[in-house]
Amino acid sequence: MSRIVVDPVTRVEGHLRVEAVVEGGRIVDAFSSGMMVRGLEKILIGRDPRDAWAIVGRVCGVCTSCHSLTSVRAVEDALGIVIPRTAELIRNLMECTIQIHDHVVHFYHLHALDWVDVVSVLKADPARTAAIAQSISTYPKSSAAYFSEVQQRIKKFVDSGQLGIFANGYWGHPQFKLPPEVNLLGVAHYLEALEWQKEIVKVHTIFGGKNPHPNYLVGGVPCSINVDEVNAINTERLNYVGSLISQAEEFINQVYIPDVLAIAGFYKDWASIGGGLPNYLSYGDMPTRGYAHPEYFKFPRGVVLNRDLSTVHPVNAKDKQEIKEYIAHSWYNYQEGNDAGMHPFDGETSLHYTGPKPPFETLAESEKYSFIKTPRWQDQPMEVGPLARLVVGYAAGNTDIREVVNDALGRLNVPKEALFSTLGRTAARALDAKLAVHYMREFFGQLLDQVKANETSTFNPEKWNPSTWPAEAEGVGLTEAPRGALAHYIKIKDGRIANYQLVVPTTWNGSPRDGRGQHSAFEASLIGSPVANLEQPLEIIRTLHSFDPCLACSVHLYDPKGRHLGQFHEE
Amino acid sequence: MTERRHELLILGIGNLLLGDEGVGVHAVQQLERMELPPEIACMDGGTGGFHLLEAMQQAERLVIIDAAAADDAPGSIARLRPRYASDYPPTLTAHDIGLKDLLSAFHLLGDNPDVRLIAITIDPHQDLGMELSPVIQQAAEQAVAMVLEEVDEFCGKQFA
Repeated sequence: MSRIVVDPVTRVEGHLRVEAVVEGGRIVDAFSSGMMVRGLEKILIGRDPRDAWAIVGRVCGVCTSCHSLTSVRAVEDALGIVIPRTAELIRNLMECTIQIHDHVVHFYHLHALDWVDVVSVLKADPARTAAIAQSISTYPKSSAAYFSEVQQRIKKFVDSGQLGIFANGYWGHPQFKLPPEVNLLGVAHYLEALEWQKEIVKVHTIFGGKNPHPNYLVGGVPCSINVDEVNAINTERLNYVGSLISQAEEFINQVYIPDVLAIAGFYKDWASIGGGLPNYLSYGDMPTRGYAHPEYFKFPRGVVLNRDLSTVHPVNAKDKQEIKEYIAHSWYNYQEGNDAGMHPFDGETSLHYTGPKPPFETLAESEKYSFIKTPRWQDQPMEVGPLARLVVGYAAGNTDIREVVNDALGRLNVPKEALFSTLGRTAARALDAKLAVHYMREFFGQLLDQVKANETSTFNPEKWNPSTWPAEAEGVGLTEAPRGALAHYIKIKDGRIANYQLVVPTTWNGSPRDGRGQHSAFEASLIGSPVANLEQPLEIIRTLHSFDPCLACSVHLYDPKGRHLGQFHEE
Repeated sequence: MTERRHELLILGIGNLLLGDEGVGVHAVQQLERMELPPEIACMDGGTGGFHLLEAMQQAERLVIIDAAAADDAPGSIARLRPRYASDYPPTLTAHDIGLKDLLSAFHLLGDNPDVRLIAITIDPHQDLGMELSPVIQQAAEQAVAMVLEEVDEFCGKQFA
């Protein structure tokens, strides 16, 4: 029996540690551990609830504005504030922007190199790459000369001895299955994606005033629309947003989707690996008639159990019996004891580290082994993320979601069950981006209609003043962030924050097992997976990266010094 | 290719919620409040990430202020001119997905502005909080003075 330690898991620096026990070339058990301490809540208690968005936005540099959006929703929910329709459309446009930016960056810059072998690019025939590119897409940059230039750039970079972003791969691993020409296509689009992502984030700067930490506002959005005013969102800026959406449509539909489908075609074996949990949770998102009406969200809310696509179970995040966080294997104490489950409204953050003194070789998995708490819905473990969003939407009979999912399954000639896999998760993220950019175009058209109708109010001031608030209030902000179901719970007392708890996507997916031994999503997805080469556990990396793990917000304070990717030892 | 501007970009990096880890952002916020010459731009880069790539490429010169988990005493300041992604000191992993990847991409794309790095050593064990410790507060003042020297050099005249 061998034990593989992967720490950190994220391609770049991270705080997720996974240990996998391998027997006969397959993983028989896995332990996912977040090695930072959570406790953002402590900074927020006692502050003005209207300022919380700015603080929570600082949790992470990647999905900054998801936390800000979720925070203003929580406060508005607590105080019963309804935002104007124009503000809702602007928030949706900003949220679609994060969604597609994050998915593209994740695929090309954090995940594609698990499937694309950079080193093999130098062996590719650019003319053949051009022929492949032209056969799968109408994207204009597809000439042999273009791919030849990309190949030269990579050669120059490799010759300089500076592997940089390519330094962490298991290049030459027999699990890389793409021909050199497709690898070249992937690397060319890696570079194109870097250029494209610089453009789309300007939507945040236009509506949020700045980036990477755009401004939010309880009661609406902090920007004014006036088509003739230089300092407002005027005709020129609206046109600019329109052109950024066009670029995004081109990139998603002509580059991202064709690439994912082309690469997936070489890795169909991964449609039966890494499925993990059979349960999927989505809070739903993209309101069209207000946040209080999830029945009109573009992405439906609900739970699918046991992969049964005929039933969607309703979700009430405020019901104290539905969502609970456990600490059986997490380094915390609860006043009610180790086996208690706490609803986030009553959440406690009382640290109690009992693990080995770092640096250490392996975690003691029979005891506590993570700083992440273990959330459960009706005591069931849930996968969250783009796949969960699509699975719940599919089961709910959402026609847009069914159409894109069925189209992709048809093109790959695989059954619906292929969704429940590492490959399905990665493909679902691309389809989620396709839907997001489609909705972005729709929301933008509706925003222009609002402007034409002179409905330009972006702020509801009715309950801005704390003197209008009740002495005590509690609310929840729910968002489908790029990585999945995100919840902020707030309690307000005498105009100040009395409690604030975050339950983030990587808490659902990356938490340790619960007291009943039920695994969370990362662990469940690894068990049963093959590992061909113990010294290069590429399979583990592929499956974990398919979740787009990000620990910055599930846990907050770094403790032991990080070690490098792919540490390994045998027991 | 991104069009280059005649501009010195001062980029502060850090996590404002992690005490001294946020020193780069604290310093740039202080610089934002000064009346700097028009060819000087300040940016609160938060914890980094690909969002910053364009602003970094557009500048003619880049001054990055960041916390570092180096071996010297907290409050020590190193001034570096990194040429490759591997030339940067170990920055704090609280930056997570952001900085290392961003710098790698920035250097991969090539044709970059001249980079000056002001790295302030902090104790990597930081409690949550939005205030700087006295030692790092003082280092932040020194870092601001160093940035103003860079401003003078870039503008070719005495500013401060």
